[in-house]
Amino acid sequence: MINGNLKADYGADERVLNNRNKQLFVYGSMLLLALFPLFADDYAVLMACKMGILLIAVVGINVLTGYTGLVSLGHGAFVAIGAYSTVIFSNLFSGLPAGILPIIVVPLAILVSALVGIIVGLPSLRVKGLYLAVATLAASFIVKFLIEQDLFAPWTGGIVGIDTPVPNLLGWELDTKREMYVLITALAVGTMLAAQNLFRTRVGRAFIAIRDRDYSAEILGISLLRYKLMSFAISAGYCGLSGALGAYFFARILPEQFGLDLSLELVAALIVGGMGRTLGPLFGVVVVLLVPEMIKITMSGATGGSLEWARYTAPLQEIVFGLLLVFFLLKEPLGINQITDRILRSANRWPFARG
Amino acid sequence: MGQFIQFAINGLMSGAIYALIAVGIVSVYKATKVVNFAHGYLIMFGAYFYFTFAVIIPGQEWAPTWLASWKPDWMVEMREGLGMFSPLGAVLDWAANVPRIILGLVGAVLCNAVLGRVVERTLMRPLMGQSVFAMIMVTVGLISILSGSASLIWTADAAFVPHIAPNTPIRFELFGSMIFLFGADIVNMIIALLIFGGIVAMVKFTKSGVAIRATAEDQSTAYSMGISVPKIFSRAWVLASATGAVAGAILATRNGISPSLGLFGFSVLAIVLMGGLDSYVGCFIAAMSVGVLEAMTQWKLGGEWAEIVPYVAVLVVIIFRPHGLMGQKEVERI
Repeated sequence: MINGNLKADYGADERVLNNRNKQLFVYGSMLLLALFPLFADDYAVLMACKMGILLIAVVGINVLTGYTGLVSLGHGAFVAIGAYSTVIFSNLFSGLPAGILPIIVVPLAILVSALVGIIVGLPSLRVKGLYLAVATLAASFIVKFLIEQDLFAPWTGGIVGIDTPVPNLLGWELDTKREMYVLITALAVGTMLAAQNLFRTRVGRAFIAIRDRDYSAEILGISLLRYKLMSFAISAGYCGLSGALGAYFFARILPEQFGLDLSLELVAALIVGGMGRTLGPLFGVVVVLLVPEMIKITMSGATGGSLEWARYTAPLQEIVFGLLLVFFLLKEPLGINQITDRILRSANRWPFARG
Repeated sequence: MGQFIQFAINGLMSGAIYALIAVGIVSVYKATKVVNFAHGYLIMFGAYFYFTFAVIIPGQEWAPTWLASWKPDWMVEMREGLGMFSPLGAVLDWAANVPRIILGLVGAVLCNAVLGRVVERTLMRPLMGQSVFAMIMVTVGLISILSGSASLIWTADAAFVPHIAPNTPIRFELFGSMIFLFGADIVNMIIALLIFGGIVAMVKFTKSGVAIRATAEDQSTAYSMGISVPKIFSRAWVLASATGAVAGAILATRNGISPSLGLFGFSVLAIVLMGGLDSYVGCFIAAMSVGVLEAMTQWKLGGEWAEIVPYVAVLVVIIFRPHGLMGQKEVERI
């Protein structure tokens, strides 16, 4: 028995938040997010900001991997392009008034990422699955390599990285983490709603059709060329936005931040959270960022912060990260979203049989 | 011209090592349809095992002295009176290391074989029959597990690792130009080619090789013909990690030991895809051509650019030939 699903008209059926529970959950969590900086300490706000930035990128990779079925192991590169474009365009247009700079620069960064996404996506028309995973991986290595080159160092800062500007929204300078939290959270919620909305449209349905069987989709009249590239562009665009926010958030960006580790983190967050589900990225990001952080805190608590043990923290975090990914693939391939679904379903049917 | 030949030969030598690493990825793929993204990290473990058995254990106090440095009287006599750079001297220097090199290689191969078997049993076996995506992602998770474990286990600074063969410089003339090579590089190349050839011959001619090919063709049919598919799986993993150990030992002597050895696996993955995942011949051609291309890039553009040669090459090849140079086309039915 599923409650709260009475639909009296078509409009009600087509809404994004189509039942009371969802509305309650979404509005409730929005309220919580809004109140969060009022009582949280600096450390919690910092973690929340990091999660928000990663979340936007994972929502992006969800569009590509979760909904269109194209595996990418190189999305860290798009985040890098978003971040570096933000810095480069900010330096290029430094003559403009600071207040409107981010409003021009961030869309440009998203655009550049999306364009690169289309280029990287080109092999997806001929290759699938594994070959595509390696192609994207190769592309991401190339992008990172180019960023590190001395040739482009005047713009990118080369291997030592480059300082990032402080965002200024129409005169409001976001120079504290708490102010950045407002911007990041607003954008993260916005992107999640946009992604959810995308899959009610013609384009989103085409993506899902391609995921389920690309040849069948083509026979149904879906242009693979168009929609696969569009999926790449959208997902790269999301990652570009994430990179832009990352550039504004961190005082300095380095090429190493956008290496293989980031790409794997994105995919791992998606798998842990649940692929092809709107809330999957949210759960995934929370777990993937919180668990290593908890290890760090426990380690420093258990050993009294001694330096001798501190060097074991990073490898341990890495191992646990890998184990998380493997555990979910072996035991719960549909991710945390599946677990919450199960709990919600049985709660909904209580006291009747679960199932 | 002289430099061209020199760089081409250097390229072929590193190409042979690429081929040796590629053979592990291809073997696992052929038997299990899983592309092992973590193969580079298995190689890194091989390198660290070699380091453990060839450097750390002989350096212990309880180890017999002949293990660390084997110097019988006749060798000391021969060594006396030889010049600094004489070829015989280099051979004798190497001979003193022979016990620990053998211990290192045997230990590395055995330990890595065990590691490969453990990975197969704990991570891959439960996923048998599941989607390929899940299996590949498990190997991606394995990357983090292996690289984390390596930095947890081997915290000591990596020191010098003994060369597998005497490292005498060799000079000779070819087409009127001087070529300059190191003995160890040549022996490494020969070892790599022998192992590569041995595995190809095994898959082609022996009974278990036929079983591997049958499993690659169709798992359930192979099962019903009495082939134990799980056994084939673990054999393929053991084979891949054992060859990986040799490759790791060679790489450790060439480039030194560091966690970045794992990244090497990705460029080999690119080479494997370039050659075609299920074709030994294609991979060999791809490995050799990437080796030569890298050497040429190093010569013309500088060492840094050589790093991305495999990736650029694989992208170019994939666009024109989606299944690699010699890979089999997948037939898809709706």
